[in-house]
Amino acid sequence: MTPRSRTQPWAMLGPTLVLLVAFFIVPIGVAAFESFFAWDLLTPPRYVGAANYRAIAAHGGLLALALRTLAYSAVVVSGTMGLGLALALLVNRPGRVFALVRASIFSAYIVSWVAVALLWMALLDDTGGIVSHFLRAVGFGNLSLLGDPRAALPTLAAIGAWKLTGYSMIVLLSGLQSVPPSLYEAAALDGAGRWSRFRYVTLPALGPTAAFAATSTLVTSFQAFDVVRIVTQGGPARATQLFVYAIYEQIFLDLRVGRASALTVVFFVLLLVLASVQLRALSPRGRPS
Amino acid sequence: MPHSVRASSRVSASRSRRDLLAALLGTLASASCGRSARPLRDGSRVVVTFWYAFGDLVRKVLLDLVDRYNQSQSLVLVRPVHQGDYFEALAKLRTAIAAGAAPPLAHVVLEVLPYLARAGVLEPLDGYEGAGELALVPALSQRGSFGPGAAQETYGVPFNRSTPIAYCNARLFQQAGAHVPTTWDELAQVARSLTRRSSGSVTRWGFEVPLSWWYWVALVGQAGGHLVEPDGKLSLGGPAGEAALELWQHLVRTDRVMRPPPGGDYQAWQSTSEGFLQERIAMMWSSTAFLRYLEASAPFPIVAAPLPRASSFSVPTGGTMFVLVRSAPDEEKQAAWSFVRWMCEPEQAIDWCTRTGYMPITRRAVESLGESGFYMRHPNDRVAYDQLAHAQPWPWAPDLFRVERDIVEPLLQEAVLTGRDAHEVMQEAREQAAEPA
Repeated sequence: MTPRSRTQPWAMLGPTLVLLVAFFIVPIGVAAFESFFAWDLLTPPRYVGAANYRAIAAHGGLLALALRTLAYSAVVVSGTMGLGLALALLVNRPGRVFALVRASIFSAYIVSWVAVALLWMALLDDTGGIVSHFLRAVGFGNLSLLGDPRAALPTLAAIGAWKLTGYSMIVLLSGLQSVPPSLYEAAALDGAGRWSRFRYVTLPALGPTAAFAATSTLVTSFQAFDVVRIVTQGGPARATQLFVYAIYEQIFLDLRVGRASALTVVFFVLLLVLASVQLRALSPRGRPS
Repeated sequence: MPHSVRASSRVSASRSRRDLLAALLGTLASASCGRSARPLRDGSRVVVTFWYAFGDLVRKVLLDLVDRYNQSQSLVLVRPVHQGDYFEALAKLRTAIAAGAAPPLAHVVLEVLPYLARAGVLEPLDGYEGAGELALVPALSQRGSFGPGAAQETYGVPFNRSTPIAYCNARLFQQAGAHVPTTWDELAQVARSLTRRSSGSVTRWGFEVPLSWWYWVALVGQAGGHLVEPDGKLSLGGPAGEAALELWQHLVRTDRVMRPPPGGDYQAWQSTSEGFLQERIAMMWSSTAFLRYLEASAPFPIVAAPLPRASSFSVPTGGTMFVLVRSAPDEEKQAAWSFVRWMCEPEQAIDWCTRTGYMPITRRAVESLGESGFYMRHPNDRVAYDQLAHAQPWPWAPDLFRVERDIVEPLLQEAVLTGRDAHEVMQEAREQAAEPA
């Protein structure tokens, strides 16, 4: 389409640009500015240079936080995609029963994080939870899935994966149903077995859909807050403190706007790097599209 | 329709649109500029928005009292607004103060009072009518709750005040032939005797306490330490701080008689209470605030007891103080003060403490409870009040709240759950606490 005038593209882009600048660019700029001050909202800000960045990096805190968040996201995305694909393959069948199963699995996705968190807290409760009873019965003793620093993060990630699996299942199911049956018929005529048809027809055809599902799940997992706030509050011993929760904790609970801003800037840069890596990886020619 | 009527109708419609726009802009302007200097009113009554942070039974009791106050007079209308737990409520209060939209009345945890006072956002209360005549229990007043160096002005009036106490399942104690521990050694011994195991798993824990700052401060005092030394240096108890941590490590990791409850903040407290009520924990430390709820909910008799000692008995006081927000309109502050005074009257103070478990905050309330025989009938209620004889005042340290949440609590949990050396952990805590905020 040829623009009617030079200004027409800008007029079309204008509203989006205004929103982008007002709600993304300006806040990030403000956060970058405030990251050079010590400020508690109530007393006047004090310029401290790069002290906030040094403070969040001290004692390996920033690296641990970044690695923890990446580990959480890796488990959520891989768990969600693996389970989602398996379930999509299982329920990709006609009939009311399978429709009910699909709806049941997807229902976890539309339930609020708060409800999901409370449900799993009850199930995982050390003293009265069904999961804890089961773990004791199979010889895990008094393992506390939410109270043990080694187990808490994988447990939280498993809760995240459980909630998001329904979403990836539905997206992958739509991808599965859009694969032309003629491709399977042609492969079968060429002597391809079930595994070969899955490996050489289904998986390549699902590529773009899987990339979309993985990207959106990755974004959601990086935004994890509700589940941390309700289930563990970042504990035990900071084992489940993820980036967004750490920012919340610094600004609202520990009274440090400057450090929260420094964390926000680092988080923004981390996401930029990840997004560019992802765009490069998903681009057909290995270049950002 | 005649022309004049149509014209009049157009003018009227245009005017009403203008009025609507003006009202909208006015609302937006006042919202962006925060509270106006005019008090909020409901008819002729001044409205006092009161941000509070409670749940369950305590919330119900508070709302009952507010209702009673609102019905008892026609000048002030208190509107309570629930704001989550103490920390959530504090986060919202700070943000609202910064945005110029804070309510006139709130209640804040004790440790945060020096910080808010230093920030200059709290109303000094000494000049308010009757401020000197409240006859507060000295250890619970602001002056008694904080050590030397505390502000001369009064910024907080005690509201829900507590100490940690030991809750014992009397039935399980009787079955095990155990007595309430009075020393740390006895605590470990009794916890061992009450713990039950089956196939390598613990089926009943002898003891439990949240790995929380408040209880650790109690242990520090019992081991003879102080968070801040007389010269003002933040020592976090020195060797006593390490001994307190080592006791937890011993009970959790060596003896395996104490369960570290999952969750942070008050979730861990709730988990402890639930385990105790389900008889999966024989003895726990918790706030006296839960006394009435636990007594009403437990299918077994509860014996409350003072905390044990190492070298001396010691407990911190806890809970919150009423505060007035300085930036609120004067009329609202006056109205809020009248509610605070009313809450300090013996009838309300007694109602509040007898229905919850919190301590009575005025001397007259304590005398009335004694004279009426309440403490004879409810000896558990007396424990927290008697412990005030060993209450250790808090240092008036504006950074204490930050040190508590950002440094000490996560490190305490790490040391107990991973077995990190107590000396090394406390050294790290002291170094971090010494860094500029």
